[in-house]
Amino acid sequence: MNIQDFIDNFANQFDDTDKAVFTSETNFKQLDEWSSLTALSIIAMVDDEYNVIIKGSDIINSETIQDLFEIVVKKVRK
Amino acid sequence: MSQLTINNVRIAGMSACVPATVEDNRTLPIYKDENDALKVIASTGIERHHKADDATTASDLTVKAVEGLLAQMGWEPQDIDCFAYVCTSRDYIAPQTACVLQDRLHLRNDCCVFDLPFGCSGWVYGMSIVGSMMSHGTLKRAILVAAETNTRNRNPLDTAVRPLFGDAATATALEYDPERSRPMNFMYGVDGSGFDAVWAPYGGMRNPVTREALEEKEVAPGVFRRGIDMIVNGMDVFGFAIKQPPLSLKELIATFSIDVETVDLLLLHQANKFIDEKIRKAVKIAPEKTPYCLEEYGNVTSASIPLTMVTRCREQLAGEEKHCLACGFGVGLAWASMEFYAGDVKIDEVITY
Repeated sequence: MNIQDFIDNFANQFDDTDKAVFTSETNFKQLDEWSSLTALSIIAMVDDEYNVIIKGSDIINSETIQDLFEIVVKKVRK
Repeated sequence: MSQLTINNVRIAGMSACVPATVEDNRTLPIYKDENDALKVIASTGIERHHKADDATTASDLTVKAVEGLLAQMGWEPQDIDCFAYVCTSRDYIAPQTACVLQDRLHLRNDCCVFDLPFGCSGWVYGMSIVGSMMSHGTLKRAILVAAETNTRNRNPLDTAVRPLFGDAATATALEYDPERSRPMNFMYGVDGSGFDAVWAPYGGMRNPVTREALEEKEVAPGVFRRGIDMIVNGMDVFGFAIKQPPLSLKELIATFSIDVETVDLLLLHQANKFIDEKIRKAVKIAPEKTPYCLEEYGNVTSASIPLTMVTRCREQLAGEEKHCLACGFGVGLAWASMEFYAGDVKIDEVITY
C-alpha cells in the first residue's frame, strides 16, 4: 500500500476542496467540506480500494490522513 | 452455515398502510439551507417519508393494512390460523402486541399469534418462521405483518435519522398450497458485536428508564437525543451494510445454485440508495430488476421489502410467477437473504391512515 495513492483516493471523495490541500498530515475533520456524508464516502472508498471495512471509531480516532492510512494498513495485513 | 428450505407455502396477497402526513426532506427545519437538504437527498435517494402522529401506533396502521388485505383476499378473520407481528415499536412493554391485535382484528381465540421484534431483517426472518410453521400443513392461512413507527422512537432533532426513516405497516397473506407453491430458500446472519450500531440504550432491563434517560442532550452540533431514543451510528451501519448483505446474497446464490440471469426481482431492504446500489452491483443484477420505494417512503425498516413489493411491483406480481431474491439487513446486527417465487399475488393500492 502506498500513502500517496491513499491520499489521492481520499481527496477524490471531496468535491469542493482543492486537491493540493491533501497531504499525509492533513487534519481532515477540520476541512470545511468534511461531513458525516464524506465519512461514508471514505468508508466506501476504503472498501472498494482496499477491501476492508473501517469502523466509525477508526475515523473518530484518526486526526490525520496518515493516522487513517495506518489503520487501513493494519486491517489489510490481518 | 444456517440455511433453510421451505415447501408448500406461497404468498397469496399483500397490503400496506401509511400515515397521511408527509414530511419532505427539502423543507425539514434541521438544515441550514435547502442545499444541505439536497446533499442528503442526493446521497441517500430519500426525498420524503410518511410520518405517524403522536397518537398513532404501528398497530393502528396494521389494523387498516390487515382489514384491507382480508377484504381483497375475500378471507374472514376466522380463517386465519397464524398471525405474526414483526415490529419493534410495540404498543406496550407487555403484553405482546400480537395479543392485542388478535382481539382488535377479531382473530380466533385459538389462532397462533406472536410478536417477532426484528428490525430491518424482519420480513425475511418472519417469512422463514411463519412459512416453516405452515409447511407442516395444519396452519392453512397466515398473515405476516411488518410494521414500524420509526419516527416515533427516534428524536426529531437527530439530524442523523430524521431525513431517513418513515412509518408504514404491511401485511403479507400466506397460504398452504402444495399444488402451486415453489420452494423458498433462506440464509441467515448475525453479528451481535455490533449491537450498539443501531439501538435504544434505555428502557429495557439493562438500563431502565431514569429521569436522566428522558433528558434531551446535544450529543454533537445540532444532534439531540434522549437515552430512550433509537440511535443510529451511521458510519458503523454503513460499513456493515456495504459488506454483509452482498456476502449473504452471494452465499444464497452459491448454496442454492441460483442462476442470477433468471432472477426477475431483487428486493432489498430500503436502507438508502447508495448502500442498495452497492449491493445490487455486487450481485450483478440489472437496475430495472431492482425496485426502490425509498425516495417516497424512506427507510421503513422491517416494512421496507413488502412496501416495495406493494408500491412498485403490484402488476408484475399479479401476473405470472416471478423469481425473486430478497435481503433484509440492519439492527442486531442481523441479516437474512431469501429466494422465492411469487405470482398471482393479490395486491391493492396503498391505504392511507
